[in-house]
Amino acid sequence: MGAGKASRPRFGIVPRFTGLAVPVGSVLFAFVAGGLIVLISGANPIDAYQGLLCGVGLLCAGGENPALEISNTIVFVTPLITAGVAVAIPFRAGLFNIGAEGQLLVGTVACLVVGLKLGSLPGILLVPLELIAGMAAGAAWAGIAGVLKATVGAHEVVTTIMLNYVAQYLVQYLIIGGPLQAPGAFSASSPISVNGRLPTFFPASNSLIVLGLPSSVYRVHTGLIIALVAAAVFAFLLWRTSLGYEIRAVGQSQKAARYAGVSVPRTIIVTMLIAGAFAGLAGAIQIAGVDKQLTDKYFNDTTGFDAIAVALLGLGSAVGIVLAAVLFGALHAGGAVMQSDAGLSSNLVLVLQALILFSIAGNFVGQISRLIPGLRPPPTLPSELPPAAPLMTEAAAPPPETA
Amino acid sequence: MSGLGDIGHLLLTANLWQLTLASAVLFLLPALGGVTSERSGVVNIAMEGMMLTGAFFAVVADLKLHNPWLSTLVAMLAGGLMALIHAVVSIRFRADQIVSGIAINIFAAGLTVFLANRIYGVPGVGHVGDSELLPNINIPVLDQIPFLGQVVFQQNVIVYVALIVLVLTQVVLFRTRLGLRIRAVGEHPQAADTAGINVFRLRYGSVLVSGLLSGLAGAYLAIGISNTFVPNITAGRGYIALAAMIFGKWTPYGAFVACLIFGLGFAIFANNSFIHISAYLLNMLPYIITLVVLAGVVGRSTPPAADGLPYVPGSE
Amino acid sequence: MSDTSTLAVDMRGITKQFPGVLANNHVDFSVRHGEIHALVGENGAGKSTLMNELYGLVHPDSGEILVNGKQVHIIGPRDAIALGIGMVHQHFMLIPVFSVGENIMLGREPVTGPDFYDRARARTEIAELTKRYGLALDPDARMGNLPVGLQQRAEIVKVLYRGASILILDEPTGVLTPQESHELFGVLRDLVKSGKTIIFISHKLKEVLDISDRITVMRRGKVVGHLITKDTNEEEIATLMVGREVLLRVDKAPAKPGGVALKVDGLTANSDQGVPALKGVSFELRYGEILGIAGVEGNGQSELTEVLAGIRHATGGHVTLGGRDITTMDANSERDAGVAFIPEDRRGTGLVLSFSIAENSILGRERASLFSWRHVVLRLVAIRDWARRLVKDFDIRTPSIDVAARNLSGGNQQKVIVAREMGSRPKVLLAAQPTRGVDIGAIEFIHRQIVKERDEGAAVLLVSAELDEVRSLSDRIAVMYEGGIVAIVSPDTPEERLGLLMTGGGTRAGAA
Repeated sequence: MGAGKASRPRFGIVPRFTGLAVPVGSVLFAFVAGGLIVLISGANPIDAYQGLLCGVGLLCAGGENPALEISNTIVFVTPLITAGVAVAIPFRAGLFNIGAEGQLLVGTVACLVVGLKLGSLPGILLVPLELIAGMAAGAAWAGIAGVLKATVGAHEVVTTIMLNYVAQYLVQYLIIGGPLQAPGAFSASSPISVNGRLPTFFPASNSLIVLGLPSSVYRVHTGLIIALVAAAVFAFLLWRTSLGYEIRAVGQSQKAARYAGVSVPRTIIVTMLIAGAFAGLAGAIQIAGVDKQLTDKYFNDTTGFDAIAVALLGLGSAVGIVLAAVLFGALHAGGAVMQSDAGLSSNLVLVLQALILFSIAGNFVGQISRLIPGLRPPPTLPSELPPAAPLMTEAAAPPPETA
Repeated sequence: MSGLGDIGHLLLTANLWQLTLASAVLFLLPALGGVTSERSGVVNIAMEGMMLTGAFFAVVADLKLHNPWLSTLVAMLAGGLMALIHAVVSIRFRADQIVSGIAINIFAAGLTVFLANRIYGVPGVGHVGDSELLPNINIPVLDQIPFLGQVVFQQNVIVYVALIVLVLTQVVLFRTRLGLRIRAVGEHPQAADTAGINVFRLRYGSVLVSGLLSGLAGAYLAIGISNTFVPNITAGRGYIALAAMIFGKWTPYGAFVACLIFGLGFAIFANNSFIHISAYLLNMLPYIITLVVLAGVVGRSTPPAADGLPYVPGSE
Repeated sequence: MSDTSTLAVDMRGITKQFPGVLANNHVDFSVRHGEIHALVGENGAGKSTLMNELYGLVHPDSGEILVNGKQVHIIGPRDAIALGIGMVHQHFMLIPVFSVGENIMLGREPVTGPDFYDRARARTEIAELTKRYGLALDPDARMGNLPVGLQQRAEIVKVLYRGASILILDEPTGVLTPQESHELFGVLRDLVKSGKTIIFISHKLKEVLDISDRITVMRRGKVVGHLITKDTNEEEIATLMVGREVLLRVDKAPAKPGGVALKVDGLTANSDQGVPALKGVSFELRYGEILGIAGVEGNGQSELTEVLAGIRHATGGHVTLGGRDITTMDANSERDAGVAFIPEDRRGTGLVLSFSIAENSILGRERASLFSWRHVVLRLVAIRDWARRLVKDFDIRTPSIDVAARNLSGGNQQKVIVAREMGSRPKVLLAAQPTRGVDIGAIEFIHRQIVKERDEGAAVLLVSAELDEVRSLSDRIAVMYEGGIVAIVSPDTPEERLGLLMTGGGTRAGAA
């Protein structure tokens, strides 16, 4: 265990090969168990999975265009990457950020407001401003939970969930009869102007035909690049900077971090601010790149919750998160297909997500492989996952007499 | 400003406080479950999911069986089953208990809607007839007391059950041998083990109890207060129950006080037609109250010492 | 030994394999009725595992156990308790928030009514027990508020309450003052007189020679010696424990103290509980000398080193380093100023167990310009070179610098910390319990390194609860008691006098 090749620096962003067994095995477990549930409910699992696989353009039975489905998948994947990072960074510090959804929502609001109020600025200025506004709003939202944790030890699970609800009702208030409601609309805001939008990869033209469909239906946008860059920034931050070192130290041993002169409360707050920024960025990208306006679609958005599974399945590494985001994005797109083709609620995807979480948290892969004789020693759960902490910690607030 | 005046007037009505107690019970039952579970050392944030599952199966059962009592039993069993999953994953598989709890909540959210779709198709879950709901019961004589009589003694049957469970939980945890052992297991499982106590059995039992109570709360919500199931009917009450547990320093009576505060928030929102503040802003009230409550518990609240740590026998 | 009817415990051919380590290797171990039998060995020798098997916390892979002549299968502590075996663990199995009575009664609580805990009956039963064995205790006191010696007493009463006739004590004196140890031994002798049998696990050779009748020595999972106490001595036991000649005293040249490095004046500070722990400490530490702080743990030593290292606030007083006031300096600035700190809790404080050796080698110095560009971006190459050098210079046994610290042995973990702190060429070295729980080979090495630092001119403050270590390493000894320094004496001071000072006696104020 651990006696690897001395030459390869462990400060890497790619999980080692044995590390893949756990995520892959967990997904397999989820599909099998999920299939059983579908079967018990009287439906055909094959229909379900056929619909889901269509998300990656395979086995599309209902006349969907595979290219379009893949495009939809990529659109779903984009915010999941940054939202996944928003959950993964606090994990490293020993914090559970369940509030990515709320942070994302305030990010959408900030981006929208900037886009509407400063709509006359040229795109090259406006878009970055929108994104920065989204990040700032998300950071502030997460910061509330961070400060509460750092000062009174309020567990971030409860505070971030409360903030999720507040953000959700805030959005509802704003666009239903509130200041952002577009005139004549019931539950939608005005759209931001063209120069506030992230450019798409395919021109928004109805006359250009790409892979059988007019190019305007492909909504894949440059936000994807931003998301991938964000993932790379995350990896660099965590493994190549002193701040990342300190965040990881705090997550593994607060006592050792204090010994090293790291202020644990300050690190907690900074971590949550950074995490919120990533989540807010996801929201801003959604508005500037896809929806261009706030609608009631955001009342049921699950990106922030999917991000939890993305972060865990991706084992907290940048590459892992991107891959996991692809999986869940595909499930998202496929879920819609499954619902229309096979008549099965797309909520099945949530069931699969939960099964994946069980499997990773309980290390089912490791435990089951232990039962198979002859198999080489099972992969141990990555030690980077923080141990479960009680719901009220004094840990963040240091003992009164220490520096 | 007139909105605040409206709230002031509201606070003087017995109706509001009656509603407060009724709403508080929805937090109280899962909070008691949480206290039990965490006192034995298992972090349990799955009350939301267990309650949701209970609510769903209560309605399904009632629509089939036309009997609210049996349906409540079904709801409790459903909650218990969810709890069992959490217990097995957390205790036997030593999973991170918070992740497991979140997973239960996501699982419940997805499963209930999925099954609703499978069983009832597009029209959605139907409504339970009035005669098949959990009844409101007025306690004779006591309900005639001015103000208090309406608030306390004209409630749904489950409210009375919940109050009894409240007292039971407090007594069992702090005066009986069983409660002593549960708390020992939550403080220092190694010590309990070496004293010959079965740590695993007590933990499984405590988590199961939290599932039964949350399921009961779900039944009360679905076929006591309302008469149908809608997705996310629990609206985060299970999470708020956690805050109540923390505020109450992991004691039943303490949690009850917090539940009353949260109940008040919900009661005010339910009366939003009388208050001239946007319904959506009022909606935020319970959650903001929770945040304030948590902020006020300035590091004085400590959980059981071994809360959240999987027990590995023979380890130091 | 062959007459089984006089054997209280007879373990034969016990073997136990844990992942990666053979804890017990065909161990034969027997204890006669009414004797005090010492089980001796280094950390990791397998003695705790052996006793855990006797108590049912661990199951042997093979072998048999006989208690009072009958073969038994001990599946859990319940079985052991039923057989009359009781264990007092090294780390107490006590619940701080419960009362003494609740702790003692746990598992055999008296009940009344449907299931109500009968507190009154508990009180009377405990009073009876404590009277019978002469171990006074207040059943309603909160366990967490009791001093360590009384907590241990509660552990013993707990064991006796369950009718134990065979008592296993695992490293009982680690947390006791010499006075309390003395009292404990008196209690043990009384227990033997009333017919109990005692198994005494320890690595403290002097005590073992003092209290036991016979000794079994284990090394690396095997029994390597059966000794009769009155016929043996420290050197023989130590040699068996380690397998070679062991230097029990450190060879060192006399000190050449230079100028004053640290001047501590009236230092006060509080403990984690907010209670005053340092009540006016004053001393001088010179370059080129080792000042040892002797004292039982809990008298302020931990707080002293933490304040000096910048991890704890001082509430009053001054500390100057080379004339500069560093009283309120934080840990990072202290490191920059040349103060290194080996903390007493290596696994919790001194290392991040899941980090690699390389990552641990810069703990506390991650923002130093040597290790990070503009204090932000880590210089991976420089860090790895540094780690490799430390591994070489300090003989850390590891296949690579990427091994996680948790996979190292205790001794090697400590060496990583020692290497990191000494490798920074400090002016002042604060070493708290530097060899606790470390095997003898590594102890020798670390002692030599500490002396080397002193010889190269560093000022060394050594805090240790092991009196032998303090006496053999220090050039001067300061005895701490209840938050203050009661005396500064020479290391040749006899042990009895030191023990007396450590418990607050022997000074003009302490004498009646």
